[in-house]
Amino acid sequence: MIEIRLHGRGGQGAVTASRIIAAAAFEDGRYSQAIPMYGTERRGAPLTAYVRIDNVRVRERELVHTPDYSICFDEFISMNQIIANSLKPGGVVLANTKFKAEELPLAGDIKIATVDATGIALKHLGRPITNTAILGAFAKICPEISMKGVEKAIYKYFPGRIGDMNIAAARASYEQVSELVPAINKEAPKEVVEIVSGGYGALKDVSGWRVFEPVVDEEKCIGCKNCWIYCPEAALEWTANNKPAMISRSCKGCGVCANECPVKAIEMKRVEVKKK
Amino acid sequence: MVDYEVMVGNKACAVACKLARVKVAAAFPITPQTSITEYLSELYASGEMPGFEFVNAEGELSAQIIVQAAARVGARSFTCTAGPGLQFMHHPMNDTASGRTPLVMAVVHRGLKSMQPDHSDLMDQSWLGWVHLYVENAQEILDTTIMGYKIGEDARVRLPVAVGYDGYVLSYTAEPVEIPPQDMIDNWLPPYKPPRSLFYDSPEAPIGRGGGDRGGGDPNMAWKIHHGAVEAAESVIKEVTADWAKLTGRSYGNGMIQEYKTEGAEVILTAMGTVAGSASAAVDKLWKDGKKVGLVKIRSFVPFPRKDFQELAGKYSAIGVFDRSIQPGMGGPSYREIKNSLFDTGSYPVVAGFVGGLSGKEVTVNDFVKLGEKTLEFAKAKKADAHPIWV
Ligand code: SF4
Ligand code: SF4
Repeated sequence: MIEIRLHGRGGQGAVTASRIIAAAAFEDGRYSQAIPMYGTERRGAPLTAYVRIDNVRVRERELVHTPDYSICFDEFISMNQIIANSLKPGGVVLANTKFKAEELPLAGDIKIATVDATGIALKHLGRPITNTAILGAFAKICPEISMKGVEKAIYKYFPGRIGDMNIAAARASYEQVSELVPAINKEAPKEVVEIVSGGYGALKDVSGWRVFEPVVDEEKCIGCKNCWIYCPEAALEWTANNKPAMISRSCKGCGVCANECPVKAIEMKRVEVKKK
Repeated sequence: MVDYEVMVGNKACAVACKLARVKVAAAFPITPQTSITEYLSELYASGEMPGFEFVNAEGELSAQIIVQAAARVGARSFTCTAGPGLQFMHHPMNDTASGRTPLVMAVVHRGLKSMQPDHSDLMDQSWLGWVHLYVENAQEILDTTIMGYKIGEDARVRLPVAVGYDGYVLSYTAEPVEIPPQDMIDNWLPPYKPPRSLFYDSPEAPIGRGGGDRGGGDPNMAWKIHHGAVEAAESVIKEVTADWAKLTGRSYGNGMIQEYKTEGAEVILTAMGTVAGSASAAVDKLWKDGKKVGLVKIRSFVPFPRKDFQELAGKYSAIGVFDRSIQPGMGGPSYREIKNSLFDTGSYPVVAGFVGGLSGKEVTVNDFVKLGEKTLEFAKAKKADAHPIWV
């Protein structure tokens, strides 16, 4: 049996990707199972999904705790050690990132391959939905599934023209994925992967979810508190000079505040992906 | 031709409705049941289910009343819900059963203390006299939903059937499912014909909603007949399951329970629903280590497989019962039923009552390996730890 863990965010299609991998394996004549793990379904919330591929019907119904492969769909999460943790020795990480495999700050007895799936998705699909754009790369580095199976499975989920576009993206990633490179840093921090993503933001640090974050122009702000009322995460605090300010750990970057501001005093600024 | 598809549990449920030629479905969406309503809506919109009506009700209480009324006037009906949605249905569910109205309801387990699955939602309904079946995987959802109509519509039973399966780990998990051809199901499951009168064609006294006044002067009568009908379901479940195995080649034990590697075992574990899958993988591991632990999957909770456990009682020195729910102050429901069943047999294996997997707590293959080992220890000591043993 081989086990795969997928890391992404709500809206990127990681759950669909897990099902496509399971369907591809089945097309190749194997049994499979795809388990998604998400709590309250929120766009942008980090989620994990799991796939098992075996020669017999899969009976185990628990999450995958020691995967052979880890696939990351999100450029931000790709910079985080969680995608490399608790893999089987010699396990493989496939990350969506512009960085080279040797540049990723990941540690452990693992091999890493990278592909710019966001770039491929933008080119072939016009949207940063990276699920199919990374599957071609996965078919290349994982001998357990074939590109033919992946293409057949993609057509099942996206028939017709949309399917053609997604297959073009998958083929591009099949071509562009890097070689597998052993991680330079061998010592993996003994960190447990957080698998339960239920619960609401006020109690959790969701700062890592943000692709955009709110920046308040205090000159423009009239102190009406609209943003403060509408923020779904209670992520704005009220400062002494009667202006809102982001509480970094609580803000998920949804942009509701900017949308509700009557004088456009909040701008959503892109957060840059940096190496630590 | 038999078709295969990698699909999630909730889709397997919707496909079963299509194959059973369900005419009316009514439901209110609630996680983790929601996607059944979406798949049914898609099947409605695509015209793949001719003559099918889907009512997106304003709440679960109405959904239950809609399908109850539809089934009474002769439409094969379906509804589905989860957790608190099921509790909101409680009141009309009583009438569905008391009025002897066959229909199938999928209960996509969502515990009563969290959104994650345990069996507390369906266990909470066990007084209403529905038939309660618990299933393990997507294929079993499809098969059992279709079988549910044959069981519930049988003249000896004529009761609603609840098919319970875990939310998330099954409702949203995709796996290969064999889809039987439509004509095969059409030949096997005849169109639903309701009795001419719901109240007056019973071989014994008639039964009606509320009941008491139609008991020919005996206020006990409605309960007496209802109890008899649920008990009669046992042999019908066994017949229908055997019949299904002949038709499709897929067997689920005798329908009430499904045994796995029990032959030659010293002790057995029991489990219900999805955890039985992991438990069977654990049993393989245990045998490999020379530890003779079998598994009995309980498929039917209402009626309870009392006779089966009475037969099993003499064969094993201990039974490790795993409950994925607990009635506070009363204990694990299948633990209690098993002990209750054994009392009259005179053979008293050690019965250990494990409780776990509550509010979605994961129960792993390794957990079951440990439960198997513990049960062997209890057998040796001729005594189990006090119930509940928390997992
Ligand atoms: S972007 Fe604005 S509305 Fe959204 S969580 Fe952050 S502060 Fe709240
Ligand atoms: S909604 Fe705009 S103007 Fe009103 S308090 Fe917030 S930032 Fe200031």
